[in-house]
Amino acid sequence: MLRVELSTQLLRIRTLIALACLAAVPALAALAGASHAGHRNGDQGGLFGASTYSALNHTMASLQFIAPLLLPIVVALLACAIASADRDWGTLRYLYVAPVTRSRLLAGKLGAVAVTTLTATGCVLAGGLISGLALFGWHPFHIIGAADLTGGAAAGRVLAATGYTLLCMLSIAAVSFVLGLLLPRGAEALGAAVAFVVAASILNGQPSLHTIAVMLPVHYWQNWTDLFTPAGTARLGTGIVVQIATIALAAGISVLVLHRRDPAA
Amino acid sequence: MERSTAGTTAMIRADDLSKSYGRTQAVSGLGFAVDAGQICALLGPNGAGKTSTLRMLLGLSAPDTGSARILGRPVGLGAEVLGRVGVLVDGPAFVPHLTGTRNLKLLWSATRRAWPPPALDDALDLAGLGAAIDRKVKGYSTGMKQRLMLAQALMRAPDVLILDEPANGLDPAEVRTLREHLGALARHGAAVLVSSHQLAEVQQFATHIVVMNLGRLVTAGPLADLLGDTDAYRVQLDDPRGAAEVLRRMTGVTAVTARGTEFVVAAPGVAPRDVVQALVTAGIGVTSVQQVSRSLEQVFLTMTEGDTGHAAR
Repeated sequence: MLRVELSTQLLRIRTLIALACLAAVPALAALAGASHAGHRNGDQGGLFGASTYSALNHTMASLQFIAPLLLPIVVALLACAIASADRDWGTLRYLYVAPVTRSRLLAGKLGAVAVTTLTATGCVLAGGLISGLALFGWHPFHIIGAADLTGGAAAGRVLAATGYTLLCMLSIAAVSFVLGLLLPRGAEALGAAVAFVVAASILNGQPSLHTIAVMLPVHYWQNWTDLFTPAGTARLGTGIVVQIATIALAAGISVLVLHRRDPAA
Repeated sequence: MERSTAGTTAMIRADDLSKSYGRTQAVSGLGFAVDAGQICALLGPNGAGKTSTLRMLLGLSAPDTGSARILGRPVGLGAEVLGRVGVLVDGPAFVPHLTGTRNLKLLWSATRRAWPPPALDDALDLAGLGAAIDRKVKGYSTGMKQRLMLAQALMRAPDVLILDEPANGLDPAEVRTLREHLGALARHGAAVLVSSHQLAEVQQFATHIVVMNLGRLVTAGPLADLLGDTDAYRVQLDDPRGAAEVLRRMTGVTAVTARGTEFVVAAPGVAPRDVVQALVTAGIGVTSVQQVSRSLEQVFLTMTEGDTGHAAR
């Protein structure tokens, strides 16, 4: 079923365009900053300010730029489609009489959500790394106002940042997947998922609504940037717990919905 | 495998099936069986509960009461026995951005079976899509989609076929090919259950019928028994001149209708040989005499008309 879901979704033109966009944004950003190669990127600080120093710097800056909105929208698009497309097309009944059991169907869909989320995140990283290599070269990871990271330290932090972002994207993928199962059409589910991300981001920026924002997974999505500051991993733990809890809750609801729903209802 | 009421092998069996959607009773206490070699037509007006019945037989909908069995095994959602069933239900459905071939592969490989399926060539012959099979399905006409779906149902060489309105969107030649294909499958021991509104078409290929109305079973049995014979004869003559007068003078003849050289004679209690003898004695050559059967349409309307009530799905 995993192969069925992947071949159905990944071969769609809109999927390929969305993934290409994810890879194109870092490339365009690299072109914009090409004149600053090897120097600080304007007056900006943090990862954005250091993005022009090396390919890895550019990759992490690209991730920081895309992860709050564009990447989750693409991930939500794919997850909603995986959850609802066969129902929208009417092919779900033919899968059941093929016959495919509910458990196999759900396992295939969840696996496909994981693979497509990984692919989407990978597109950002690949786009950033390739364009960074071409325009900024392979140099030690630079941190503004601190010593360059050693190769090992940089690799460890980049891997940790990637893993953490992947986990965050899996949480929005899981939420989108549930919406795709619950709502009648995939388009409605995508709209709801995007609205959730946008609303959560707005909440996140309102200090008076802090108590609500901390309950939402979106609040923790940028915590990985601390890996490249003196704060280090201090805030990652809570973020990891919240993302895993979100994924577990969404997967549990998915199981309940898919196992209890009469496909003909 | 279970025994049907006729003592033969029941390939499809519905026992006391009931299903309601909210306050609407779609199917109520329905029971029937389809044996190997039979082509059974499931008939009923719109809202009779035919599609709900097919969904329950395929495990797509759980009955409120009763049970559905295929090849003697209980059917649930994704039941293994469905691998031996060819299905067309609720119309054709495909992944629109994939080709016809890719769609067939997708549904076949979803159950981890090696491509190609055993009856692929025959199924593709029936579909008759030619080079279009490698075009994206979103460009297909309604008829092409229907034929591809039928190919999907038939390519697995099923022991049981459950088809909901299989002739929808097909032209007369395609309907005839489908009829021949279903007949051949039944002769090889498959059980075929077809839901259809096309009564004249059904009469040509069905061996049995199940008639439903308002979710309930009206009648079920061999088509020939249900149609039965009328008291009328269809007489084909060499020369029709004077024939009408001869026939009307016969004792027992109540009506004579002429259509060129063919006469339909209503003659309750009159043997066909008496009709022939009267005509030949009058010097009129008789080519053939056939007893007129009732049409399925007549039988169906007699059984179902006049009923009112809330429509089922």
